[in-house]
Amino acid sequence: MKTSPSQPTGIVAPTKSDPLVDPSTTPYKEAPHGPVGRSERRIDGTEKVLGTCLYGADLFYSRADYFARVVRSEKAHARIIKIDAAAALKCPGVVAVYTAKDMPGTNRQGLIHRDHPVLAEEKVLYRGDAVAIVLAENEHAANRGIEAVRVEYEDLPVVADFDDALAEDAPRLHPDGNIMGGKRIRKGDTDAALSASDVIISETFLTQTVDHAFLDIEAGIAQWDGRLLTIQVSGQWAHEERRLIALALGLPMEAVRIITPATGGAFGGREDLSIQVYLGACALKHPGKTIAMRYSREESMRARHKRHAMRIHYTVGAKKDGALTAAKITIFSDEGAYASTGPAVLRKSASHATGPLRIPNVYVDVYGVFTNNNPTGAMRGFGACQMAIAYNGMMDRLADRLGIDRIDLWKRNLIHGGDSVTTGQVIPVATAVECVDAALHQFRSKKHHDRPLAPHEKRGWGLSVICFGLGYGDGFPDASRATVKFNAAGRVEVYTGAVEYGQGLLNMAAQITAEELGVPISHVDVIWADTGRTQESGSSSATRQTYFTGNAVKIAASELREQVLDIAGKLLHVHPHELDLHDAKAVGRYDPALVAPIAQIVAEGRKREYPLEANGIFKPRTVCEDYETGQSPRSFITYLFGSHIAQVIVDTETGETRVERFIACHDVGKAINPQSVAGQMIGGATQGIGMALMEEVIMENGVMKNANFTDYILPTFRDVPTIETVILETDDPGGPFGARGIGEPPLIAATPAVLSAIANAIGVSPHTTPCTPQRVWELLHPDQAAVPYEARLSTAPPHMRLSI
Amino acid sequence: MTQKNDSTWRLQCTVNGDPIDADVAQDETLLFFLRDRLGLTGTKGSCLEGECGSCTVIVDDKPINSCLVLCPQMQNRNIETIEGLAHGDKLHVLQEKFLASGAAQCGYCTPGLIMSAKALLEANPNPSEQEFFEGMEGNICRCTGYAAICEAIKSAAREWK
Repeated sequence: MKTSPSQPTGIVAPTKSDPLVDPSTTPYKEAPHGPVGRSERRIDGTEKVLGTCLYGADLFYSRADYFARVVRSEKAHARIIKIDAAAALKCPGVVAVYTAKDMPGTNRQGLIHRDHPVLAEEKVLYRGDAVAIVLAENEHAANRGIEAVRVEYEDLPVVADFDDALAEDAPRLHPDGNIMGGKRIRKGDTDAALSASDVIISETFLTQTVDHAFLDIEAGIAQWDGRLLTIQVSGQWAHEERRLIALALGLPMEAVRIITPATGGAFGGREDLSIQVYLGACALKHPGKTIAMRYSREESMRARHKRHAMRIHYTVGAKKDGALTAAKITIFSDEGAYASTGPAVLRKSASHATGPLRIPNVYVDVYGVFTNNNPTGAMRGFGACQMAIAYNGMMDRLADRLGIDRIDLWKRNLIHGGDSVTTGQVIPVATAVECVDAALHQFRSKKHHDRPLAPHEKRGWGLSVICFGLGYGDGFPDASRATVKFNAAGRVEVYTGAVEYGQGLLNMAAQITAEELGVPISHVDVIWADTGRTQESGSSSATRQTYFTGNAVKIAASELREQVLDIAGKLLHVHPHELDLHDAKAVGRYDPALVAPIAQIVAEGRKREYPLEANGIFKPRTVCEDYETGQSPRSFITYLFGSHIAQVIVDTETGETRVERFIACHDVGKAINPQSVAGQMIGGATQGIGMALMEEVIMENGVMKNANFTDYILPTFRDVPTIETVILETDDPGGPFGARGIGEPPLIAATPAVLSAIANAIGVSPHTTPCTPQRVWELLHPDQAAVPYEARLSTAPPHMRLSI
Repeated sequence: MTQKNDSTWRLQCTVNGDPIDADVAQDETLLFFLRDRLGLTGTKGSCLEGECGSCTVIVDDKPINSCLVLCPQMQNRNIETIEGLAHGDKLHVLQEKFLASGAAQCGYCTPGLIMSAKALLEANPNPSEQEFFEGMEGNICRCTGYAAICEAIKSAAREWK
């Protein structure tokens, strides 16, 4: 392992003086010579700084014939008695009003359960459920139209939270009841291990609902030409959007083309369909017309799914020396009105319930509970970040109880290579300890000017450690595909179905391709996320694209490399193995006088009828976690480790917390583009700080009280210090050039580090997020809390057993 | 500025130095006018209530949220948008530094940030930390996390002429 930036080590090409190096006897390490490992500039950066990059909302100025808007439910739970569109249809410019009965296909959407009507049929299940679409000649008329649609409702009792949903007389929100699903982990004998423990501690954590708050609001256009429905709306997974839209609208998949425009952030918030299906439905009814729509910020926040709020009952047992013996965990997760990706989120919560801790006996029950809140689904962290708050919080509490130094307690219990995680999966290379050491080294060795404290201020620092299984895992047939070819002009084209939404996927693909082919990345174009031109590459989520699409691109590019070497060998009359590719040339490995430029090789290849094109597919197998025990020999393809340190100042008079120093350390395997990796670490940590201190969707009886950026507080320039990044690189044997990924772990690790720092500052460990000034003040003055912590908890026993 | 009837005004102003003479609705925001009427889509709408700064443009040397001002207020004003910064292929120093520092990831907040930074540095090429925050705190970035943006603006300040 080594710390960036330093020169890559490992296998070097044999030279004349040392031609007999046998790669099979040297440690696995590919040594990039080209752009891999360099902070190359973003290939989409120039258009972004010029403002010429086109996002969904930029496509329809002057191009749209009709504008659509959605009539949304003003009720959290109600039966629809009547939808009266007469007044709306009289509004000047209104072309049509569509309701569920006008929908051509199944009228169903949902990534896993297909339980969400595109337009409500009999009932609305959350305030924001779509009821009707108004189509008009301009946006203004569409706005008038939605106000003129009269919907008559019969109110139904609102299921506002877990306890409402689980009450015996609770209204059933879905045919199978209010428990959407669950997941169990049964590892060892938890009850016996707990009773044999020297110390047992329990806590209940309450985590909040969070909004993705990407800045690029949902917007885009659609056309139907009688054969093909083309939709251009920002997203995360073009090919799945195509499947879902085809199903909802009753079209064959081939009749739908998704072209993803530039996408301004996603964070999981674009995994569910947004406006695509409304646009599609309108386009089908008006062949040849361009239909446009965009949300307002408020509509975006009211309509979209959110991060799951969770209530986590966590009990751990330990020996006097700090060795963890058992964990017993029950999790209730607010699924909101529809399943969305909830079933996968709660599985991830279970499989990440104990993080990187070595605990021989683990018992976990997770329940996803339907309510009349916004649906909850994918968001960066995906069920793992809530668990990280809990297990990190438990480590702080246990250290306090046992009087053991936090770091010593962590180190005693962190997994090493060869140990297993919650699911029983053995992790061959586990670098949790290395991450902790590197973060601490940065914390202690780099000088930081701590300002003097006022008498009412307290300073503290905290540490978090996390692990994260990347990819969908759990037996899902997860795959990425790529095509790499030389085009007629001799430039290299990479085709991938994956979405770039800011994370740096285009550079990842271009740099890997350029590395393989020995060309500068300025010779590489990436064509992405267009179902008409690219193949399925899975979603840009689950921290999976560097590993999955990176591998697919590398496989395709190395196949193309073989073709190039073969042609060059024929041109230069040498065996292809005696040639290297670099600087857009084939060069003799032992005879530098042998040179052929790529352009000449490509021209020769065309003459000789080489395909000059290659495909790659990467589809590793994972094993579904066992239904009864949650155990799996390989639930995830690989694991990521990270450790963060936060230093905070808490104002004990106001309860306000300021983060004054922050260190993020992750083992990414190999940073394909270190600047981009650091960018993900800083951006993710910033969102994690937001989750720790300020971000919270406030729901009251099914009504979102802060559906705007005035009341939904996001971190600004003033709220985050300069985040120090430490990138570790321990090769992943299966990753492209050893790379693993980075997307989600920085968010997951940041929140608990801040909470731990608050605990260290004030001597009380937080149990509820976010730690707003009021909550911190209440931690200091529990007797004066507006709503005592105990009153927020369920009256139900913490480890009750429900059928799932 | 002349009011043509109850809801329409005749607006004369300049945008990136070009004279504009257009009929505008009295409730038309500058953001809508720039994007949907002039096709200058580099200026982005996001929160549409003055909280995020994505729509920042410079009006007579002052940064403003274009989602909050109405077209009739722009009479005889000089408006500068992100499209006016580069000269042909030559990027403005802020654009160059944003690119070099990796300060544009998803890029959606980038035009607004660059315009705020330009207004800040033009008024004060050497801002203190406090002045820097005052100039920039109206802009939200959701994915980059600010460090690279600060670095970009500070290195542009060093080369500010």
